[in-house]
Amino acid sequence: MILFVLLLFFVVVAQIGEFFLPTLDWMYNAHIYIVPVIVFYGAMALPFPLVLALATFAGLLLDALTVQVVSGKVEISFGWSILLYAVLAAIMHGLRPLFVRGRWEVHCVLTGICTSAMLLAQYLMITFRRGSIFFTREVWWQIGGPGIIALLMAPLVFWILHSIARVTRSPYLPEAENYR
Amino acid sequence: MSRTSVIALLVFVAILGYFFTFGVESTRKLQAGVYQLLSPFLTTGSGLEKQITSVRSGLKSLEDLERDNTALRVENRSLRATNQALRDVEHEVNRLRHALNYRERSVFKLVPAEIVTRDASNWFRTVTINRGKDDGIEGDMPVVTDEGLVGKTTTVSANISLVLLVSDENCRVAANVEGTREQGIVSGERVVGSITPLLDLNFLSKQADLKPGQKIFTSGVGGVFPAQLLIGQVRTFALRALDGQARLAPAVDLAHLEDVFVVTGRK
Repeated sequence: MILFVLLLFFVVVAQIGEFFLPTLDWMYNAHIYIVPVIVFYGAMALPFPLVLALATFAGLLLDALTVQVVSGKVEISFGWSILLYAVLAAIMHGLRPLFVRGRWEVHCVLTGICTSAMLLAQYLMITFRRGSIFFTREVWWQIGGPGIIALLMAPLVFWILHSIARVTRSPYLPEAENYR
Repeated sequence: MSRTSVIALLVFVAILGYFFTFGVESTRKLQAGVYQLLSPFLTTGSGLEKQITSVRSGLKSLEDLERDNTALRVENRSLRATNQALRDVEHEVNRLRHALNYRERSVFKLVPAEIVTRDASNWFRTVTINRGKDDGIEGDMPVVTDEGLVGKTTTVSANISLVLLVSDENCRVAANVEGTREQGIVSGERVVGSITPLLDLNFLSKQADLKPGQKIFTSGVGGVFPAQLLIGQVRTFALRALDGQARLAPAVDLAHLEDVFVVTGRK
């Protein structure tokens, strides 16, 4: 439970931090996303009910800070980010046994893929509302770029969070011992 | 699946269903609430970011001088913006007096604001400013600098507001072309691949034949943006199947905005 509370705190800090991170102009102005990496770590390290709670919190925060209310219309309505986080986190949670056995690389790759999948879903929703679908090089980079960054960040973030989990005596550690 | 997981899933679905029923007002209220809650952290973060940038640029100055300089710069920009607004109004008053004898228009009331954060998403072009309802800001108010149009306010909380930039695809501005009767709609691009985005001016007539450097102003149609605010300058013009389209360079450097003014009305 301590780890869960800490992850909630990290999600808030990371979400605020994302506002101040400059975009990567060498990657077609793509943004850096840290929150998905934290949520997807939580998906592996927490029991399913807490995974849903973490996804709800992160999605709610993301929606609240980025949803557009223009001319009396809400572009992507509240709740979609929660759903996206929950579905992707549930998939990650399903592969939890691998993580417990110490096979982190699968989840690092999945974190990158899931981050890009979220952006792709957002882009498709926006396109559905605005019309005229197109996939230019810029679009692909803005979807794929943050995924690559998340993939590269994941080992470090996972290692830091895993160390914190150890300090806070997270309940999945004895589970890992059973596998050994 | 354990019973706890099933219950958690049911609760999750109920919460999700509740959020999906949110209308415009509920969304605005919740968004304003979250921004208000986070505003101390966002403002502190903005201050820290400025300090880090200042240290990184290697410039060290006395605190008092820096404060005075900042205050003077804000005042200077405010005066320049007011001056620009006065010139715009003077131009319009003269035009109306001579041509149509319309009633005089007064100058804008401007509320100075600082940029707190920039967009944190790939798909939306927004900034937050450190002014809100407490300062008389409301939704759909134009945001300008002395150089031209920046965008409009959308969600407003007590002391922080969200500004939709003119470079966002959702920010549509009725515009006319300097020295012609050509009118069109300016909007941003959905995906911007560089730090300096261009704007699209759509629905021009096929005979428009705009030249690079021609200035584009707000036409005042639509009720949000007053007339004669500079939006940008024409870069290129191309004919499409049914209309003409121009690409514009925004009048304001949106990537390096620091101080803006919210037009709260006319004096």
